[in-house]
Amino acid sequence: MNLSTLKNKNLQELNALLDIKDRDILTERFVSLGLPSKKSEEYRYFDVEKLLEKEYKTLTYVPKTLQVSEKIEIVDGVVVAGPQGMRIYNEPCGQTDMEHFDPLYYLGHLLSPHAIKIELDGDVEVEIEHKFTQSDTLINYRIVLYNQANRHATVYENFVSEDIENTLVLYGYDMHIAQDSTLRVVKMQNMEKNQYSMVASHRVNVSKNASAILKSFDLGGDKALQLLKVELAEHSHVDAGHLLYLNADSKRGTVSQIVHNGEHSTSKQEAKNILDGDARGIFDALIRVQPSAKYTKAEQNSKAILLHEQAYMAAKPQLEIYIDELEASHGATTGQLDRKQLFYLQSRGISYVEARKILVIAFANTLIETVKDTRHQERIKASFEKVFYSGHTNR
Amino acid sequence: MSIMKIENLQAKIGDKQILKGLNLELEPGKVHAIMGPNGAGKSTLSKALVGHYDIELLGGDITYKGKNINEMEAEERALEGIFLSFQHPVEIPGVNNAYFLRTALNAKLKHEGKEELNAAEFLRLMKGHLEMLGMKSDMISRSLNEGFSGGEKKRNEILQMLILEPEVIILDEIDSGLDIDALRAVSEGINKMKDGKRSFLVITHYSRILDYIEPDYIHVLKDGKVIKTAGPELVPYLEEHGYDGIEEE
Repeated sequence: MNLSTLKNKNLQELNALLDIKDRDILTERFVSLGLPSKKSEEYRYFDVEKLLEKEYKTLTYVPKTLQVSEKIEIVDGVVVAGPQGMRIYNEPCGQTDMEHFDPLYYLGHLLSPHAIKIELDGDVEVEIEHKFTQSDTLINYRIVLYNQANRHATVYENFVSEDIENTLVLYGYDMHIAQDSTLRVVKMQNMEKNQYSMVASHRVNVSKNASAILKSFDLGGDKALQLLKVELAEHSHVDAGHLLYLNADSKRGTVSQIVHNGEHSTSKQEAKNILDGDARGIFDALIRVQPSAKYTKAEQNSKAILLHEQAYMAAKPQLEIYIDELEASHGATTGQLDRKQLFYLQSRGISYVEARKILVIAFANTLIETVKDTRHQERIKASFEKVFYSGHTNR
Repeated sequence: MSIMKIENLQAKIGDKQILKGLNLELEPGKVHAIMGPNGAGKSTLSKALVGHYDIELLGGDITYKGKNINEMEAEERALEGIFLSFQHPVEIPGVNNAYFLRTALNAKLKHEGKEELNAAEFLRLMKGHLEMLGMKSDMISRSLNEGFSGGEKKRNEILQMLILEPEVIILDEIDSGLDIDALRAVSEGINKMKDGKRSFLVITHYSRILDYIEPDYIHVLKDGKVIKTAGPELVPYLEEHGYDGIEEE
């Protein structure tokens, strides 16, 4: 399949091409947004066209009987294992956001006849492992994560791949966080060696008095973009943190919209970006405060450290505000390592190269340490240091 | 024989020449106090001695233990035993204080061909120092200088000095921002380091610190030069008359 063939097609042509029935609303929405290109604002820095123009194999969707496992295992888009007692099942894609900004959110739904639904109905902690085994393949799947009312759940998300190449993964969550509940999602993704590229398009619906805590740790190389839309009801909260460490010629980052719909809703979004080699980091983030969202508090910040003269950060924090009764701030900085800090370490006998490494790791740690579970915190720290020490150019 | 000799040192920061032919010799085991008005070049001198990136040397020589160090990198100077206690120590969020201290100590031990310390050995070494300086034990598990009060930062500087055991110790306004208890604790730490071999260069505006760290020499720095060197008896004169009455010798 070559996704670029979907360009400029009308509803009937798309339905025929994708063999879709009874999903005209989604198809219409995709047609109205169009296939993303370098002219699309959200994909402007990502070179999406190169990914869409490739010829991919497609996989036939065959549901599997779930094996019992400590973690939820999804192999090439099919869930194969999960913890005993946890409600995990396949269901037709539904409950779609009809105002998502990302066309690939809709294409993902159109290409996926079923979504993997995971019901988090207790105060649980679960790991989701995504595994990719096929080269030159389009792997497409959607996940619905449903957090029951008054429950507090944590999801740790990891990605592994076999020795594959040139695969494109389109996946994403529709997260529904019910009233008075908390959902933490901690994503750790270390990509390397051109194994696969990824576009992850998420929608997070945060109900009254609920909280979403979304932390992503994106390390290494390759191409990946996460597109995130969060909607906040009254007295709800989102805390989003994104750490990016990129090397070589990778292009990765976050494009997000946080929409305050309800009064007294709060959002905090922090991006820390460390870019080495010829890497390009992306943080294109909008906070929209609707007229209904009085007394909102919104905070957004991006900091980037460029370790090499060819590294590039596209940081675009934005506020779109329709009321006066709120507190909001946003900002972005891009620069080198702090010279005073570097000198301080050197003045104690620590070499320039080692001092740089210490400062970069420290910069990352301030975000990694927001992961409360110390075991996972240490795991992420270890992964970061491993990738950083192996990929750092020492220049 | 001096441990450090500074001859005709000329240096600028940006476009402004600050040091204009400064001469100074530091003797082993002695405490040298540098006093002088604002803008005389006291902090510039301290920066020049440790190889700070702000400083561009225009002429002169800095000789340390018989070796010219004009071109030596900051970390090499530190490994060779030159230590600056900063007037305003920088905060580094995310760098654990204990990790930083152990990394610095192990860099020095490695440089000297000695065995590096593991975490347990290092913590044992720290314990006594922390008690003497009146530092809370949690200060070493916090981020380096982050959220520290002025006094805590200065104590942390002295803690680094105690651990690294340098041979030339430059104290830039070590007394600024310290209350009397902190001043006593910091001074005790400094005095503990006196061993008859180490040399101290105490840079100060005020004589208060010299009540606690007895100097052997007072050097008056004015307009980028040392204009007078005398014994500690000069301090009360300066307190009474200020720097205006001091003429270049």
